[in-house]
Amino acid sequence: MSTYILRRLAQAIPQLFIISIILFALMQAFGDPIATLGGRTPPRPEDKERLRRQLGLDQPVYMQYITWLVGNDWQKIDMDGDGTPETPGKRLGIMRGDWGNSLVTRQSVLKMIGDRLPNTLLLMLTAEVIIIIISLALGLYSALRPYSLFDNLVTGLSFVGYSMPVFWLALMLMYIFAVNFRRWGLPYLPTVGMFDPAVGKTPAELIKHMILPLTTLAVISIAGYSRFVRSSVMEVLGQDYVRTARAKGLRANYVVFRHALPNAALPFITIIGLDIPFLMAGAVVTERIFAWPGMGRLFIDHTERADFPVLMGILMLISIAVVVFQIITDVIYSLVDPRIRLS
Amino acid sequence: MEDLTPVSLFEDSTSNSSTPPLSPMALGVRRFRKHRMAMFGFALLVLLVLYISFASIFSRGYCAPIKQDLTGEAWANCNDTSLKLQPPSADHIFGTDVIGRDIFARTIYGGQISLLIGISAAIVEVVLGALIGVLAAYYGGWVDSLLMRFTEAMLTIPSLFLLIIGARFFGGSFPDINLFGRELTGGVIVIILIIGATSWMYLARIVRANVLSLRERDYVSAARALGSSDRRIILAHLLPNTTAPLIVSATLGVANAILSEAYVSFLGLGVQGATATWGNMLDGAYQYLETAPWLWFFPGTFILLTVLGINFLGDGLRDALDPYSTKHL
Amino acid sequence: MKRNLNILLSLFVLASMVLAACGGAAATEPAAATEPAAPAATDAPAPVVTEPPAPTFSGTVTITFVQEPDNLNPMYTDMYFSSILREFYLKPAWSFDEKATPIPVLVTEIPSVDNGGISADGKTITLKLRDDVTWSDGEPLTADDFVFTYNMIVSEKNVPLSRYPYEDYVTSVEAPDATTVVVTFSEPFAAWLTRLFAWVLPAHILQPVFDAEGTLDTAEWNRNPTVGVGPFVLSEWETGSHLAFQANPTWILPPKIEQVFVRIVPDDAAQEAAIIAGDTDFGVFLSSDQIEKLEAGGDVKVVALASGYNEAWFLNVNPETAHPAMLDVNVRKAIALATDRFTIVKDLLVEDINPVNVNFWDTTPPFNNADLQPYPYDPEQAKALLDAAGWVDSNGDGTRDKDGVELKLRYITNQRELRTNVQAVVQQQWSQVGIGAELVNYSSDVFWNGYNDGGPQAQGLYDIAEYSSVPGGFPDGDSSGWACNDIASADNPDGANWQGYCNPTMDELFAKQATTLDPAARLDIFMEIQQVMYDDVIYVGIWKDPDLWSINSRVENVKLSGVQPFWNAHEWTVK
Repeated sequence: MSTYILRRLAQAIPQLFIISIILFALMQAFGDPIATLGGRTPPRPEDKERLRRQLGLDQPVYMQYITWLVGNDWQKIDMDGDGTPETPGKRLGIMRGDWGNSLVTRQSVLKMIGDRLPNTLLLMLTAEVIIIIISLALGLYSALRPYSLFDNLVTGLSFVGYSMPVFWLALMLMYIFAVNFRRWGLPYLPTVGMFDPAVGKTPAELIKHMILPLTTLAVISIAGYSRFVRSSVMEVLGQDYVRTARAKGLRANYVVFRHALPNAALPFITIIGLDIPFLMAGAVVTERIFAWPGMGRLFIDHTERADFPVLMGILMLISIAVVVFQIITDVIYSLVDPRIRLS
Repeated sequence: MEDLTPVSLFEDSTSNSSTPPLSPMALGVRRFRKHRMAMFGFALLVLLVLYISFASIFSRGYCAPIKQDLTGEAWANCNDTSLKLQPPSADHIFGTDVIGRDIFARTIYGGQISLLIGISAAIVEVVLGALIGVLAAYYGGWVDSLLMRFTEAMLTIPSLFLLIIGARFFGGSFPDINLFGRELTGGVIVIILIIGATSWMYLARIVRANVLSLRERDYVSAARALGSSDRRIILAHLLPNTTAPLIVSATLGVANAILSEAYVSFLGLGVQGATATWGNMLDGAYQYLETAPWLWFFPGTFILLTVLGINFLGDGLRDALDPYSTKHL
Repeated sequence: MKRNLNILLSLFVLASMVLAACGGAAATEPAAATEPAAPAATDAPAPVVTEPPAPTFSGTVTITFVQEPDNLNPMYTDMYFSSILREFYLKPAWSFDEKATPIPVLVTEIPSVDNGGISADGKTITLKLRDDVTWSDGEPLTADDFVFTYNMIVSEKNVPLSRYPYEDYVTSVEAPDATTVVVTFSEPFAAWLTRLFAWVLPAHILQPVFDAEGTLDTAEWNRNPTVGVGPFVLSEWETGSHLAFQANPTWILPPKIEQVFVRIVPDDAAQEAAIIAGDTDFGVFLSSDQIEKLEAGGDVKVVALASGYNEAWFLNVNPETAHPAMLDVNVRKAIALATDRFTIVKDLLVEDINPVNVNFWDTTPPFNNADLQPYPYDPEQAKALLDAAGWVDSNGDGTRDKDGVELKLRYITNQRELRTNVQAVVQQQWSQVGIGAELVNYSSDVFWNGYNDGGPQAQGLYDIAEYSSVPGGFPDGDSSGWACNDIASADNPDGANWQGYCNPTMDELFAKQATTLDPAARLDIFMEIQQVMYDDVIYVGIWKDPDLWSINSRVENVKLSGVQPFWNAHEWTVK
């Protein structure tokens, strides 16, 4: 077991390297960050050329990658454009803990991520817990009572929920519960943001503002996952050992919770395990519509500005998390299913 | 004397030895027909396919700005800004959109593209995912490592990023194609590729997990002991027994692709411009949620019905083809 | 039955336990992120001079921005949403009111030839500062701050977004005494009023930072300007979420409200919902089709701010890249005549707010040439012009052609829905006269990419490009981008002339306007420029594009200026 983990971790390092190279290369498709720096009017050509030089964007791509990776404080760079390098570089590179500065805000990438990550985790972890619990409950109950009224109702609603595009659902909820409820004199929810400035950032305010985004996230995911749990459980319930257990006279509860559920949970674990690292990436559309200041917003805003350091920072963070969680998932998998041998 | 004729393990078989036991296929069809939701889904899809294929007979009208009677796709593209944002009426049974185009006609032609995208993307996804999953699980060792590292790499990169990159790289590289008499922009192929290429990874992992379990089963060991080739084992034993997740994924895949098309349109990466798809019609209706509900109601309902139908169908298929599933515990 | 109840019950118990624990966690998490609200500025000791009692403030005004400012140091950003905040925390030497008239703020009067502020040869401008202005920490604002600002902009150790016009035109900035700033130019610079000292940096705060870090690029102050000069001071900036500004009582014109809260809401439809629900007092960058909805649903009034923007077509006349038909001025004229811009404006927008415009300076009075009328809609004349130019439909496919080349023009713009709709309408209109259209939409960043990054405009991969633009020096007419030597090409990838237009007369006129100080003479030059542009048909105006803002009725005394919307924030009151 421990050799497996160590081996996977050792494999992870070159894998992360390769991912970083692939990502950096792919990002060249994004175009020129300087072009978007000007706001409504693009910067003048002289300024563009100077900015490019001073921000290190005039270097060839592989040099930019190396600078990002290991820094350039052992080099001199040409800041004033006269052709001779004279200023010592200041970057240490990500290998030494310097994640770089945003091209747009000039702030440290780590600080920017650190500002947004708690907001995202607050929203996404809460959503994930709700989703897991309700999906398991609904899926399990549907599987135990297949084709009953309950099952059909839940199935129908799940499908409806699952068939709605996120942006449409989010806006619909906002209009009904925030705009129209207020108009009709009913207790209403706020439209956008994390809190009301007049009241301040209290837990009550946060919860109130979280309700609509959580509902948006939950509805669509629950619809999908409960179906998955249902089909998983049903498949397991058809297995021979379950029949045997029933034939032996064990109570249904026991069979379900001791035999069926753990085995049905395996594919579910796979999916959840894959999802958790992406919680950090936030939910782009939901965060955008509800103006929730999270990682998803950070990502999409800086994608539009072609801000490489921030994008690389976010993507590498997610990559590391994914690699770690995949190892964890595989280990749990092998612990739960004794038939699987991790070679 | 006891009747020793083998009795099929399946529920529906009779113990009367004069009727031969049904083949799994026939059994599957019979079980499918009994699954009400699946039949409903199937019927729904048939209706929808008929709609997008033949309702264009009704797509006709007088286009005032160019002073001509038009039919078919030309009518769907006719815009008359003086008739913008009209609620459903006799002339335009689904109303008109922001520049006065007939929504009924656009749902027909848009549906053709949406379904094309959905099915094609799902095919891409299933082929890629199943292939990689099975190969990785069966061969194990360095093949497994390599394929799984590749899958992981694709998984770690958020699909949004891949979608944007894909749209940038491929956008404009594909020429317009002529399919079933319609001129489609290369953008349609781009969307199919990028949706398919960003959704196969989950299936690959699930298939691999399934096959990992199956690989240790007795009948596989037996087959190997009997000297069956790898290819035969994969195709005849492993893949068929992973059909349950494959079918679930394929059907969810089509539905997912249709929804992804709407998501991608919202992000501005979808099929651009005047070509209608249900996804970009929904995106265009975003600002008019309350003031012009017919803009989103019709494409939205079509998306809903299609996805619903596909999911019911897939559900029925899964229940019907899984030899071990039963109705009650 | 019982076992199902058991299952359900146990699941619900489990769920409620987890939710309770989670709710507790959620409650404790944000505690770390909460900051104590900045206390109302009652710290400053009462001034010695006899004055009315310390002002009291009440009320919070909320504004929604669809984009977050990237930097609050104007040296490093040109973003609209950064620059409009300056009227809160970093006032300019002079503001522009709702009629775009300059109003002295940090100076006692606007320099002119009459009051001696501008020398006779136009190469020296003297600013006389007020002596009672202090930074928000009490330090007096002096001429040294102006000199410091100039030095920082031109310093090689800083990477500002732009050094214009300081690098090009200014030779020195000096402070002979604490309230006088003398700016010397290499040649008379006509656009000084809008380009000079729109902001001043606090020397007493930033000089030490510059000395310590060697540059201002990464200064803490850039993202957290806690010391500023204006009616408000930044008290909090939570990225992605909001910025909060508190009233500053030391400002010469103290505000009446206590706090301005700027919330970042990137989604248009969500902003709309927030406006209607009253969750925000100001809505920014609305579109004309929202006016009716907003005024009916919410307690708001929508105002149009003249910001100098016009939506127009820029025609590619570069012989190397454009469709051969584009090189014929009569064909270009025919294109304009074949397009019914009037119906587009009437049906898709609000005609009063967005009338059809003629030239680039239409919304930058007094620089606009009011004598010119928009090209009319005359499809018959268009057909005649095309026939005469040799473009006829010889193969009966509905599109004209000549010498085997089809008259199919590449019409590009970005992805905004309004623009794709206009494209579809125009395509149909052109089909009436036999002009074919290839409609292409690019995402905004690609659309504006430079030559070396494959930008379609820069590389000339278009025939007609549509977008909204403003003269660079707004509210001054100063602009550029049509010079012969500025054409973008492989040798000159940073060239700003993306239309490939070369007319020596035009070059002369533009060079002259930059250095003609006499206002009347300068305006004459602009009139001529617009006549040349009109005759050469390289610019086809579509509609005037003012900025649309919504104001909730609970905020009073608001006068939004198209140049700097918040210039009179100190007068706002809240009901």
